[in-house]
Amino acid sequence: MKPMIVILKDGTDSNQGKNQVVSNISACLAVSEAIRTTLGPRGMDKLIVDNRGTATISNDGATILKLLEIIHPAARTLVDIAKSQDAEVGDGTTSVVLITAEILKNAKSFIEDGMHPTIIIRAIRKATALTIKKIKEVAVTIKSDDDKEQRVLLEKCARTTLSSKLIARQREFFAKMVVDAVLMLDELLPLNMIGVKKVTGGSLEESRLVSGVAFKKTFSYAGFEMQQKKYTNPKIAILNIELELKAERDNAEVRLDNVVEYQKIVDAEWSILYDKLDTLHKAGVTVVLSKLPIGDVATQYFADRDMFCAGRVQEDDLKRTQKACGGAIITTVENLNNQSQQVLGTCEIFEEIQIGSERYNCFTGCPKAKTATMILRGGAEQFIDEVERSLHDAIMIVRRAVKNDSIVAGGGAIEMALSRHLREYSRTIPGKEQLILAAYAKAFEVIPRQLCENAGFDATNILNKLRQKHAENNIWFGVDIMHEDVTDNFIAAVWEPAVVKINAITAASEAACLILSVDETIKVPKSAAETSNAAKAMNMG
Amino acid sequence: MPSVGTLAFDEFGRPVLILRGQESKKRLFGIEAHKSHILAGKAVADTLKTSLGPRGMDKCMVSPDGDITITNDGATILSMMHVENEIGKLLVQLSKSQDDEIGDGTTGVVVLAGALLEQAEALLDKGIHPIRIADGYELAAKVALDHLDKIAESYPLDLKNLDPLVNTAMTTLGSKIINRCQRQMAEIAVNAIMNVVDMERRDVNFELIKVQGKVGGRLEDTMLVKGVVVDKTFAHPQMPKEVRNAKIAILTCPFEPPKPKTKHKLDITNVEDYKKLREYEKEKFTEMIKSIKDAGANLVICQWGFDDEANHLLLSQELPAVRWVGGPEIELIAIATGGRIVPRFQELTADKLGFAGHVYELDFGTTSEHMLCIEQCKKSNTCTIFVRGGNKMVVEEAKRALHDALCVVRNLVRDNRIVYGGGACEISCAIEVAKEANKIATIEQYAIRAFADALESVPLALAENSGYSPIKTVADVKSAQIAQNNPSLGIDCLNTGTNDMKSQLVIETLIGKRQQISLATQLVRMILKIDDIRLPGESEE
Repeated sequence: MKPMIVILKDGTDSNQGKNQVVSNISACLAVSEAIRTTLGPRGMDKLIVDNRGTATISNDGATILKLLEIIHPAARTLVDIAKSQDAEVGDGTTSVVLITAEILKNAKSFIEDGMHPTIIIRAIRKATALTIKKIKEVAVTIKSDDDKEQRVLLEKCARTTLSSKLIARQREFFAKMVVDAVLMLDELLPLNMIGVKKVTGGSLEESRLVSGVAFKKTFSYAGFEMQQKKYTNPKIAILNIELELKAERDNAEVRLDNVVEYQKIVDAEWSILYDKLDTLHKAGVTVVLSKLPIGDVATQYFADRDMFCAGRVQEDDLKRTQKACGGAIITTVENLNNQSQQVLGTCEIFEEIQIGSERYNCFTGCPKAKTATMILRGGAEQFIDEVERSLHDAIMIVRRAVKNDSIVAGGGAIEMALSRHLREYSRTIPGKEQLILAAYAKAFEVIPRQLCENAGFDATNILNKLRQKHAENNIWFGVDIMHEDVTDNFIAAVWEPAVVKINAITAASEAACLILSVDETIKVPKSAAETSNAAKAMNMG
Repeated sequence: MPSVGTLAFDEFGRPVLILRGQESKKRLFGIEAHKSHILAGKAVADTLKTSLGPRGMDKCMVSPDGDITITNDGATILSMMHVENEIGKLLVQLSKSQDDEIGDGTTGVVVLAGALLEQAEALLDKGIHPIRIADGYELAAKVALDHLDKIAESYPLDLKNLDPLVNTAMTTLGSKIINRCQRQMAEIAVNAIMNVVDMERRDVNFELIKVQGKVGGRLEDTMLVKGVVVDKTFAHPQMPKEVRNAKIAILTCPFEPPKPKTKHKLDITNVEDYKKLREYEKEKFTEMIKSIKDAGANLVICQWGFDDEANHLLLSQELPAVRWVGGPEIELIAIATGGRIVPRFQELTADKLGFAGHVYELDFGTTSEHMLCIEQCKKSNTCTIFVRGGNKMVVEEAKRALHDALCVVRNLVRDNRIVYGGGACEISCAIEVAKEANKIATIEQYAIRAFADALESVPLALAENSGYSPIKTVADVKSAQIAQNNPSLGIDCLNTGTNDMKSQLVIETLIGKRQQISLATQLVRMILKIDDIRLPGESEE
C-alpha cells in the first residue's frame, strides 16, 4: 500500500481533471467486477446479507447492484442503468453493466494517453448509432400471424432468459408457464395483471398457473369455517368499508342523561352495521371482499346467509380482482340495490383451494380483463424469491417479444457479429475515431469472453474460433456452453428479442459517455461526523 | 485484504469508497465461499444425523427464557436452534417446507442435503465446475425419482380395514419418544383422519382435528374424542356436570347489558335515575335469558365472560353455561354441533342451536382440573385428540409426533402409493443411480455417482444410530438387494432378524420420499450456485 497523503482538509471533497476521469473509471470497473461472474448459464449467484440480516440470493444484475449499496457517485450510474434496463426490458441487466465497464476500460488508455474525452464521446455516439443500425439489419423477424409459431418463438425467448437462472433445469416448464400467462393478458399486456404468489414447500414442478385471480386466505374470525367455500357465478362486492361494530367517530362522545336513550344508542350502533349487511345481502351479493377488516359479527352474519367474506385483502389483489371480475370498489353501500348491479363483479367459479399448507381464494373464468396468477412452490424462501425474480425477467422478455417480433441469437453471437461489423467499418475512416471505434468493437467481445470464463472454458481459444466463424460470415455463431465449443445459436434456439440488445447497448453507451464527460466531482460532506468516518476509512484503507 | 469488499484505488493509491460501509463488510469469494457453505451445511446436518430412525436420539433445547423442549423432530430442532449462518438458515427452511408440505421426514431431508454437500466438496476439489455438479445432481435426482415411481407399490386404502394405515403411522411414530404406545397412537391418528376425511376429494381438512394436551396421567391415557374438548368448565360450580341431548346456544356477545362502542357518558343526577338504570340492567339480563329459553336451548357457550350476577341468574334458570371459550373453539363447536354462531341475542332462534348428544366435564385425578367434552355431535366430523403424559415435555413431543403421524396418513389418503422405509428405497435408488451414472459421457457422471453415494447416507445414519457397523451393514443390504432384486430390503434397526421391510411393515409414503429428494437437490443446487457472499460487518458503535 502506498503511503497516504492527506491533501484535503476536512470539508468539501473535490477532485478534478484527467485523474478524476480515470478514478471514476476504476470505480466502475470495480463494480462490474462484482457481478461479472453472474453472466450466462454457468453464471454464479451472490448471497448478500443486508444490515438487518435478511439474506438475498440472486443472479439478477439489477438486484445485486441495488443491494450492494453503492455510494460512489460515478459507480452509481451503473446501478441506474441496470435499473433502467430492468424497468425497460427486464432482462440483460448484467450485460449492460459489463458492456459499460468494458467500453470504459478500453477508453481508459486513450484518456491516459491524453485524448480529450469529448472526442471519445463523439466516437462512441457514432459507434452506437452504427451498432443499432446493424442489429436492426440482421435481426430476424418471425411472423406472428400464426399463433403456433409465435408461441414457439416466445417459448424460445423465455427459455434463453431462464437458462442462466436458478431454475435452468426447469426452464421448459416455466417457459411454457410464462408464455401461457402473458398470452392470457389483453392487448396492452399490463404487467400488474400477472400476480405472483409464493408458497414455500413442494417442488418447483408443483408451481401452477391460475387463469384468474388468486390470493391467500385472509385473517378470519369465528364463523368463517361455516361459510360456503365454492360458488359458481357469484356476485362479488369489492368494498372499502369496515364491516365491524365499532365507534363511528373516534373522538366523539355521547352524553346521555337518561336510561331510555342509552338503549337507543346501542340499537343505533347495531343498526348502522346491520343496515350495511342487509343491503349487501339484499343486493344478492355472494362474495364480499374488503380492504378493511370484516369483523366477527359480519362474518357470522354472512355465514348465516350462505355468503363468503374476506377482510383485509391486500390492495393490489383487490385491484386485480376488481379489474378481472368487473365491478367497482364500493365505498358505501347506501346506493346498492337491485338496479345498481353493475358495481358488482362476477366470475365463473370462485373457490377456496388448499396449496401446501396455505389456503387460497381463487377466482377463475373472469369476464372483464384477462389476468393470470402464478403460484410458485419451492423449498426455501430465498429460493422462491429468486424464482420470482427470474420469472419476472422472463415475463418481461416475452412481453417484449410479443410486441416486437424481431429476434437475434444470444450466447455472444450477436455481440461477435456487431464487433466484426464495427471493426471493419473503423478501417474505412481516418482519424482518431478509428481507434476508438475499434476499441468499442472490442468491448462487445466481453460478453462471449465472460460466458466462457464463467463456464470454465479457455476464453481465448473459443473467442478465436468465434472470430474465425464470423469472418466467414456465419453471423449467428456463439458460445456453446454445453459442449465447450462454438455453434450456430440461431439453430440452437438461443434467442433474444432484438429490442433487449438495442436497449442494452444504448444504455451502456450513454452511461459510458456520461462517466467520461465528468471531470470534476465536488462532494459536500453531510455532517462533521460523517467526514471523520470517511477520513478514518481512508486511513484504514 | 481478501475479506474486504470491492476496493478501487485512485492515482494516489487512496482507496475510493464505492460501497456504503465497505471497510466493515465481509466478503467471501470463489472456492472459499463454496467451502464455507459446505462446512456450514454439513455442521447443521451433522446435528440432526443422530436423530434419524427408531433408535435416533433426542435433543434437548433450552430457549433463552428457560423453556425446555425435548424432541427428535428435525424441523422443530432446527427452528429452535436459532441458526445464524445464512446457509444454515436455508437448511432450516428446507426442513420447514418439508414439514409444511408432508409433515414427516424433516430429519431425512436435511441429512440428505448435508450428504450431497459433502460429496460436492470432494468434486470441487477435483476441479469440477459447481454448476456442472448441480446439473449432475439434478439428472441423478430425476433418475432416482423415476426409480421411486417404479418401485412404489399401491397401497390398499379401505375404510373398513384400517390396519395397513395404522402400520404406516407406526413407522412414523417408531422414531419418536412415544413409541412405547406406538400402536395405540397410530390407531388414534388413523381414526382421527378417518373421521374427517373427505373421500371424494381425497383430502383432509386438518382444522377439524384438534390436538390438545394436558400434563398428568400416562401416555396410555391419550384418547380420541369424537367431538370437541375445551379447556373450560361450567361457569358455576353448582351447574350440572353433564348435559344430555344438549341444545347449544353459541354466543359471541357478552352476557351483560349492551354498551355503545362510541365513547359515552351517562349523567345520573338523582337516585331515581340510578334505580332506573338498575332496573334497566336487570331487565336486560332477564330478557337475554328469556331469549335463550325461548329458543329452546339448554346449554350456553359464550365467547365472552359474564359477571356473577348473570351467572347466578343462569343457574337459577337452570341454564348451564360456559364462558370465555376461545374463537377457534367456538368455531369448532359450531361446526361439530351444526349450530350457528350468534352475534346478538336478537338473532337467536331455535334453528340456530347446535345439538350434541352428550356434554360432560372430564375430571383429572386428584387435581381439581376439569375439561369440557362435547360428544355425539350432530355433524360429528370434528374430533379432538387428547394427549396425556407425565410432564410438559412429553406431552409436547407427543403432540408433535401425532402431527407427523396425522400428516402421513393424510398423505396416504391423497396418494396411496408407498415405498419401503428403513433406508430400503434409498439404497435401491442409489443402486439405480450408480448404474445410470456409467452411461453418461460428460463430467456430470462424477456428480451422479456422488449423488448415489449421498443417497446412502440415510441408511448409513440409520445403521449407525442403531448401533451397527454402518458400512458393513449397508454393504450387506446393498448386495442382498442386487442379488435378490428386491427393493424392499433395508436396515433392520430394531434387530428383529429380518431385513425385509415388507414383512417388518416399515412403510413410507411415496410423495414424502419424492419431496425429500427433490427439495434437497434443489437446495443444494442453490447453495452450489453461490460464489460470492457479502455480509455486513459489525455495526460501528
